[in-house]
Amino acid sequence: MPSGNLGLVVMVLGYGAGAGLSLLAPSDRAARVLTAIGAAIGCIGGLIAASSVLVTRVPVDATFGSLVSAAGGVAIHLDPLGAFFLLLVALVGLPAAVYGVTYTSEYEGRHSLRLFGLMFNGFLLGMSLVPCAANIFTFLFAWELMAITSYFLVMTESQYAETRYAGLWYAVMTHFGFLVLLPMFLIMAPGSGATAFADLRTHAALMSGSAKSVVFLLAMVAFGSKAGLVPLHVWLPRAHPAAPSHVSALMSGVMIKLGVYGVLRVVVDFLGAGPAWWGGLVLAAGSISALSGVLYALTENDLKRLLAYSSVENVGVIFLGIGAGLVLQSYGLHTLALVGFGAALLHTLNHAFFKALLFLATGNVLHEAHTRNMERMGGLIKGMPQTAALFLIGSAAAAALPPLNGFASEWMVFQALLSGVQIPQPDVAIGAPLAIGVLALTSGLAAACFVKAFGISFLAMPRSEEAARARESHWSSRAVMGVLAAGCVGLGLAAPRIFDGLFRIAGSLFAAGSSASPPAVGRLWLAAPNGVAQVSPLLIAVAAALAIGVPVALLRWRGLQWRRADTWGCGRIQQTARMEYTSSAFAEPLRRVFSELYRPTEDLTINVHPDSRYFIRSITYTSAVVPWIERAFYDPVARGMRACATQVRRLQGGSVHLYLLYLSGALMAALVAAWWFR
Amino acid sequence: MIRYVAVLLQTLVAMALAPGLVGFIRWLKARLQGRRGAAPWQPYFELRKLFGKEAVISHTASWIFTATPFVLFGTSVLVASVVPLIIAPAGRFLIGDLFATVYLLLLGTFFLALAGLDTGSPFGGMGASREMTVVALTEPTVALSIVALALNAGSTSFSQIVSHTLAQPSAALGPGHLLAFAALFIVTLAETGRLPVDNPSTHLELTMIHEAMILEYSGPYLALIEWGAALKLLVFLALAANLFMPWGIALWLSPAAIAIGLLSFVAKLGVLAVAIAVLETRVAKLRLFRVPELLSASFVLALLAVMSTFLVR
Amino acid sequence: MIADPLSQLVMLGSSGMLLTALIVLWRKGIPAYVTAYRWQSWLLAAITATVGYYGHDPQLYWVAAVLLALKGIAIPALLATMQRRFGAEREATPYVNTETSLAIAGALVLFAYVIARPWMTITTLPTRQGLPLALALLFVSLLIVVSRKKAMTQVIGFLMLENAIALLAAVGTYGVPLLVEFGVFLDALMGFLVMQIFVYHIHETFDTIDVEELTRLRH
Repeated sequence: MPSGNLGLVVMVLGYGAGAGLSLLAPSDRAARVLTAIGAAIGCIGGLIAASSVLVTRVPVDATFGSLVSAAGGVAIHLDPLGAFFLLLVALVGLPAAVYGVTYTSEYEGRHSLRLFGLMFNGFLLGMSLVPCAANIFTFLFAWELMAITSYFLVMTESQYAETRYAGLWYAVMTHFGFLVLLPMFLIMAPGSGATAFADLRTHAALMSGSAKSVVFLLAMVAFGSKAGLVPLHVWLPRAHPAAPSHVSALMSGVMIKLGVYGVLRVVVDFLGAGPAWWGGLVLAAGSISALSGVLYALTENDLKRLLAYSSVENVGVIFLGIGAGLVLQSYGLHTLALVGFGAALLHTLNHAFFKALLFLATGNVLHEAHTRNMERMGGLIKGMPQTAALFLIGSAAAAALPPLNGFASEWMVFQALLSGVQIPQPDVAIGAPLAIGVLALTSGLAAACFVKAFGISFLAMPRSEEAARARESHWSSRAVMGVLAAGCVGLGLAAPRIFDGLFRIAGSLFAAGSSASPPAVGRLWLAAPNGVAQVSPLLIAVAAALAIGVPVALLRWRGLQWRRADTWGCGRIQQTARMEYTSSAFAEPLRRVFSELYRPTEDLTINVHPDSRYFIRSITYTSAVVPWIERAFYDPVARGMRACATQVRRLQGGSVHLYLLYLSGALMAALVAAWWFR
Repeated sequence: MIRYVAVLLQTLVAMALAPGLVGFIRWLKARLQGRRGAAPWQPYFELRKLFGKEAVISHTASWIFTATPFVLFGTSVLVASVVPLIIAPAGRFLIGDLFATVYLLLLGTFFLALAGLDTGSPFGGMGASREMTVVALTEPTVALSIVALALNAGSTSFSQIVSHTLAQPSAALGPGHLLAFAALFIVTLAETGRLPVDNPSTHLELTMIHEAMILEYSGPYLALIEWGAALKLLVFLALAANLFMPWGIALWLSPAAIAIGLLSFVAKLGVLAVAIAVLETRVAKLRLFRVPELLSASFVLALLAVMSTFLVR
Repeated sequence: MIADPLSQLVMLGSSGMLLTALIVLWRKGIPAYVTAYRWQSWLLAAITATVGYYGHDPQLYWVAAVLLALKGIAIPALLATMQRRFGAEREATPYVNTETSLAIAGALVLFAYVIARPWMTITTLPTRQGLPLALALLFVSLLIVVSRKKAMTQVIGFLMLENAIALLAAVGTYGVPLLVEFGVFLDALMGFLVMQIFVYHIHETFDTIDVEELTRLRH
């Protein structure tokens, strides 16, 4: 058996065993361990399968025609693009599974860990199967498996009303996406009942331009809602905080990326890119997501919601890369287009690592501080120094600071956008600088956002008792986070090599793509498409280490005298945590600058003394940022739904006969329709 | 090999010149305001004194606080070694291009803002919050100015931009070039904490930004931060000078060319320093919430710069 | 890639005119607006003269001289008198705040470029690079008129609009017939005088020149 197939078998068996055994486990403790063992074996299987495909470049095929034969059977086809996303699942799934062993121990006795194990493994299996699927049925099955199991995982702590509300949003949005997927596949499917992806690809070449555009739009809506593109992102900042942290890591790091996979698979692979306005639309969606994601992240006080909004931002950056690729492809600039797609894939990989790391570190913090509110944290760097250092690495990577991995991919996206000015039509090309401006603003705001996330949560004095007592978590959780952090550094330093491979994966999506060669120069240099602008993360790291290390050594050698004293307090006797800058205060200047976008609601109540208005008893000031995008888009929909529901309620007569009448009426109507459209 | 030595020497020259630049601006400002002022070489004495002093560290501070001065100084030195100051040899430049430089500077600022938060002092938090606001808002202007330059030169690498401007002097007077210069000059004022964005000479105003963040630093740590900040100012001025008016820069490594390069570099820095001193004497500090207006104006300038390079297509 | 001196100068001048309009969006004091308008008119006169010089059209020198005398000196002086009379009213709270106005202005500039693009490709005039800038000036002036509250600002916005049209004529036709320019100019002058009277009346009625007050007349 070739290693690819072997890996897939191990993967499915591992996840299956994890799901089954944890359900039958004798104790909660055993359930926790069995969940992780099954998931780890599954991830290793996925790792083997994915890397064998990526190394040998020979796709793995498997068909089980007899399994659900009515829908075309289960078909597996793992090509390099799928293998990349399978790799992503396995690389994040493995640390998350190990982390889960200790993290879920606090659920013992409160929640069913057996059910959790089933859902966790099912979730991983669903995510792993999505990029392997080779026909519509397998794809939709895996997609739905992923959606349902993740819904149950989000609902783990369903005793909180907030979680149930988040679960509702999540269920509605994910099924909305599923509903849009169906007509998309329906339009793409050739009439003969063939549902294999290979048939869709050949049929897509025969489709008319307008049909292709409809498919493109449906794909953007369906997969965009999974990826968290604005304005379809509403479920993301609700569901990610509600889920257990290692599940959030998987959802943010991997699951939303499968939306990216879907777009690449359908729009680039099946439809073969398209007219320039497709790319323009993707660029616009990416810009809006990146900017509004980071803006909402900035004002957020809930650490996990902040990270969730930051995922919206990063998905926006990924879509900027894809959009650049689509536009460039439509003008025949094939090599430049591949740089755009490659940059998007690189950012997909990098974001998976640093976001998973950040969510896991946040999990440790939640475990100790018992709150997600940053204004109740502070000073955690003293109690949990290693978690703090790991969170700092993740934050720096998320802020795209060199030499970490976020920098490498954002630099590539910049260069891909910059090559947009080579488009021969200047009134299209002028959009490229605009997108660059948006990306630059986004990265600046992301830096501000992560200064806030790390600085307010981990530095200065603790703002609550729990934060003051916080201690380091179990060594195993720190170890897996260390692996992810090493990944953040390593992926950054090795970015030129990795980009090379991703460029080839992007090239494999095009028939003609195999001939294009990546613009890399040597192994050290990331290069822009025209080959002139270059950057070497590794050399930056070496030079920075020198430039920082030499002064340290010199100062050490000279001898540095220092003593401890209190923070200068303007003559106050004692510094307390109440005097510190809070999370809201930190974001206040930017909130004012972008007040037209935030539209904050402010409420100031001054309670004065009845005798004189100059004596004030109390002042209450509340201010909230309610994302108006959500209100503008979803309030009308919700109202419409409610109105429809009240109308539909009239049908409900309570009489069984009436319902039977409906049934027979519907049957007649269906038959008539079938006769009419035969 | 000789190139690396040359770059190293150039970096050392920049490090040596940086405090003098700050001192010169201070001295000139004092003169313009009718004061006698300290001599231009005063900052060197200050640095020596600070390096000899004992550092005081807050009880609240963590390792972030002590690491930051080194990170800030290190990134400033690194950036100084990347940008063309005196020499601009052809080919790739050490480690990266303009975008990489911007992100390296952001790395230093990131840590400085964290250090501001680290002591728990409300001043530090205020400075950090404001600094990150200003930096975030300058990023798009920087990026678009880079794009405007890159569109002319066809690359974001320094040597390419410099040699392109040298080859086509008439382009240097085009609106694209001038507008990008104006935009980058405003960014320079904002990023290096000069008037009208920030007041570099006060510790006691609630409007301060940079000085608020470094309020807790003392001794050698403060020396490193001051030196790093001076180097950052020098680098920004050098960028403004050499990307837009590269004449005189040494394109090859002969002693005569390097001597001319050094002289022209000092002269250009002098001109820009005079401009800053005059400006700081003329204008008052903007209110904090008018700073974004200035920065958005600079963004529009950069956008116009980009557009005008499209005009001639 | 290298443009000839004429188009270089026209681009420089038109960019300068656009910048003066942006200054109105950025600054809040009305004296600054008057100064911006003065500079803009001077630049317009300079562009007209430049076009005249390179196009060998001596008539344009006359146009430039008249522009300079009326728009560069007379109208700014009148505006300054008006401003002194109304005191230090400032454009403190426009309908759209400064950052957003500037961002919108940036978008308008790009829009003008895209709109003017087909026009640029069909002409071979050496001044065609000024077209998008003139169009952008037109849009930005409209933005000033729409988004600002004080009557003085609106008058200046209107005058800048007129400048934009004159610039469009100068770069779009490579020189304007004297007669046409005078016709447009007289129109604008009449408009200006009428508006001046209005501003005085608004000031007398409401004791401010805030146009928002006019909504009170509805009752």
